[in-house]
Amino acid sequence: QIQVGALVFDIGSYSVRAGYAGEDCPKADFPTVIGVTLDREDGSTPMETDGDKGKQSSTTYYIDTNQLRVPRESMEVMSPLKNGMKITDAELFPWNTRAKREKLTELMFEHYNIPAFFLCKSAVLSAFANGRSTGLVLDSGATHTTAIPVHDGYVLQQGIVKSPLAGDFMSMQCRELFQELSVEIIPPYMIASKDAVREGSPASWKKKEKLPQVTRSWHNYMCNCVIQDFQASVLQVSDSPYDEQVAAQMPTVHYELPNGYNCDFGAERLKIPEGLFDPSNAKGLSGNTMLGVGHVVTTSVGMCDIDIRPGLYGSVVVTGGNTLIQGFTDRLNRELSQKTPPSMRLKLIANNTTVERRFSAWIGGSILASLGTFQQMWISKQEYEEGGKQCVDRKCP
Amino acid sequence: MATGADVRDILELSGVDNDGPISKKDLINSDKKKSKKATETLTFKRPEGMHREVYALLYSDKKDAPPLLPSDTTQGYRTVKAKLGCKKVRPWKWMPFTNPARKDGAIFHHWRRVAEEGKDYPFARFNKTVQVPVYSEQEYQTHLHDDGWTKAETDHLFDLCKRFDLRFVVVHDRYDYQQFRKRSIEDLKERYYSICGKLTKVRAPSGTEPKIYIFDAGHEKRRKEQLDKLFNRTPEQVAEEEYLIQELRKIENRKREREKKAQDLQKLIKAADTTTELRRAEKRVSKKKLPQKRETEKLALPEMAGIKFPDFKSSGVTLRSQRMKLPSSVGQKKIKAIEQILVEQGVDLNPMPTEDIVQMFNELRSDLVLLYELKQAHSNCEYEQQMLRHRYEALLKTGSGAGCGGTTAGGLARADTQSWLGAEDIKMEPKEQIIDVVGAPLTPNSFTKSIKTIKKNKKNE
Repeated sequence: QIQVGALVFDIGSYSVRAGYAGEDCPKADFPTVIGVTLDREDGSTPMETDGDKGKQSSTTYYIDTNQLRVPRESMEVMSPLKNGMKITDAELFPWNTRAKREKLTELMFEHYNIPAFFLCKSAVLSAFANGRSTGLVLDSGATHTTAIPVHDGYVLQQGIVKSPLAGDFMSMQCRELFQELSVEIIPPYMIASKDAVREGSPASWKKKEKLPQVTRSWHNYMCNCVIQDFQASVLQVSDSPYDEQVAAQMPTVHYELPNGYNCDFGAERLKIPEGLFDPSNAKGLSGNTMLGVGHVVTTSVGMCDIDIRPGLYGSVVVTGGNTLIQGFTDRLNRELSQKTPPSMRLKLIANNTTVERRFSAWIGGSILASLGTFQQMWISKQEYEEGGKQCVDRKCP
Repeated sequence: MATGADVRDILELSGVDNDGPISKKDLINSDKKKSKKATETLTFKRPEGMHREVYALLYSDKKDAPPLLPSDTTQGYRTVKAKLGCKKVRPWKWMPFTNPARKDGAIFHHWRRVAEEGKDYPFARFNKTVQVPVYSEQEYQTHLHDDGWTKAETDHLFDLCKRFDLRFVVVHDRYDYQQFRKRSIEDLKERYYSICGKLTKVRAPSGTEPKIYIFDAGHEKRRKEQLDKLFNRTPEQVAEEEYLIQELRKIENRKREREKKAQDLQKLIKAADTTTELRRAEKRVSKKKLPQKRETEKLALPEMAGIKFPDFKSSGVTLRSQRMKLPSSVGQKKIKAIEQILVEQGVDLNPMPTEDIVQMFNELRSDLVLLYELKQAHSNCEYEQQMLRHRYEALLKTGSGAGCGGTTAGGLARADTQSWLGAEDIKMEPKEQIIDVVGAPLTPNSFTKSIKTIKKNKKNE
């Protein structure tokens, strides 16, 4: 018996998930980027999207894949995250400051006139989606890999450990790989036709005519899409620390870029994601101060009270799109069992379906919003009017 | 698909069961009558839906009730399936409702059955909160004042406790460290429980003794430190601890073995002593008094004193030579030894079984066995002594045996069975090599070796 119709939004740095509470997967899932065009050939993009700041520009916004991937003249691509929300949301990252949460509450009630609102941390929701109220949530997404201890439905903020080694880091490494191989990344929008070439030989393709003058940011975005596709299909994490000889014996995977260049990838498949677990040898990292994924988890648990540590290790929830790389969870399991004392019961919870792992925070929100006992937790418009925007801090722990 | 009810409805015939909308009970508990009968015979009939094997676990063929608490399955074991499509749809309505658990009386809307209009929000009863005591200003000033805690800090602590329902882990996590000092979880708990205790004492009506919970912060701290150390043990430490435990077990086992051997030896010697005494006693005492004494003394003999010949208590006729037969419990080696000695001494292996001969022959054989055992034990001791002496010399040479030189020399000097106990003293030294030396199992008793030595000795005589 669904109590109240609620909308659930989960905004990530890579994609936004939105839908109705009570369903098992979000209805809308689109990239967290906005295409902005200005009528004027100013080139300067508006940094604040709330209100026009006196610029007489009719800014048009394009969201969602269908609109976004069409090349338009001077359409800049930017992420709306820092620039204020255009999209309503009911969930946020835990390290958003209090000020941001309050501002968001204000925006929701004042601007959009919603009757009720609730903010919940995505780590708590991921845990709920996996049937647990206590556990260590390891979320490896596009921009960050974080370990967040959740105890009894509350995030322990002192124990959050963040590392920038995540999906985007992988993409950067892939990009460098292609540079080393002297292969140019050509996004599909530029290609009119291509010929089949032999493996490893340079691509042979024809450029489309009458392409509009696209901006640098948009072109980069499209190239990133190509690299992300490569990243998702080819990369694999080895189940023991990277070894040259073992990697050389790995079966190769054949991959073809949009422009026709195709090649077999063997050792590189393992070498690139190794940086996630053992950043000491990864390229492009300044100093060796980065933590590998295993260390991130153990550090986070180590910062918590010793009495709850077995509870945290007994439910390590693995979420986030970046964890879908083949072999990620096995390697993580191995690393954790090495780093914990042998008497510690370790259990990793990782859903096998793509949908569940990428959307676990959204699914948790859907579950939570459809609970009968949740109805008392909403911040209603009346409460907001009485208490001001600070009530979000009290009511949404 | 049209059911009977639908057809009646279409044709507007008055049906039999047309008494208003269906209640929940009709759907779920419609087979109440059946279940009543089933409960009567439940103990002897397998409930529908329960697998045969599961039932077999509960009830054996003897038809006894299982020693379990009876459970509350009113409908039997089967899973409940809602019966749909029987009657008219109950109407739903988009209704506003208030949630008594909310403080602001916000009105939301949802779909609900018309029948349930006006009833309370069903989930409101799940809104349980923890009772956190609230103190007034005077109470604080008079009773709860503490040097380490300001009023503001105490208020903050209690506010957090209320918000997070006494989840101290979370309270500790959200504690305001910028404003107040850094506190450990034990500090917070201690302050909270001490205040609770004081308040219950103060507020209790005079004359009653309220129950106060005491929180031992020191104990908690020590326990957590201990846990921490345990958690942070390196694998080397764990391995070392395991190794030490194993060594301890080995040492204890060896000790037990040694004690057992010593005891056996003692018994043997005692047996030997007593039999010789018995013989002497027998010769001295007159024949009349023999049977009584012999019986009492024979009872005191331990079982290891040679061979125990079974007494034939069968009535009727028996052959005397049967009494001469060796019992099967005597081992092959011993039999051989007996035979050999008999042959050497020129004694007939199977003499004529007259009464005296039978008795004396049995005694002879039992004595032979005793002698054999003693010789074995003696050679064992000698062998051990030699081995220890060799090791002692080797250790002296390497120079590490300086500390225990005294005791080993002492142990080796005593060549009798008491050396067993001396070996134990050596064992107590913490030196691992010596422990290993002492603990090394002896070579299996070589019977041939000991017999050869006996023969040699005889020839030398």
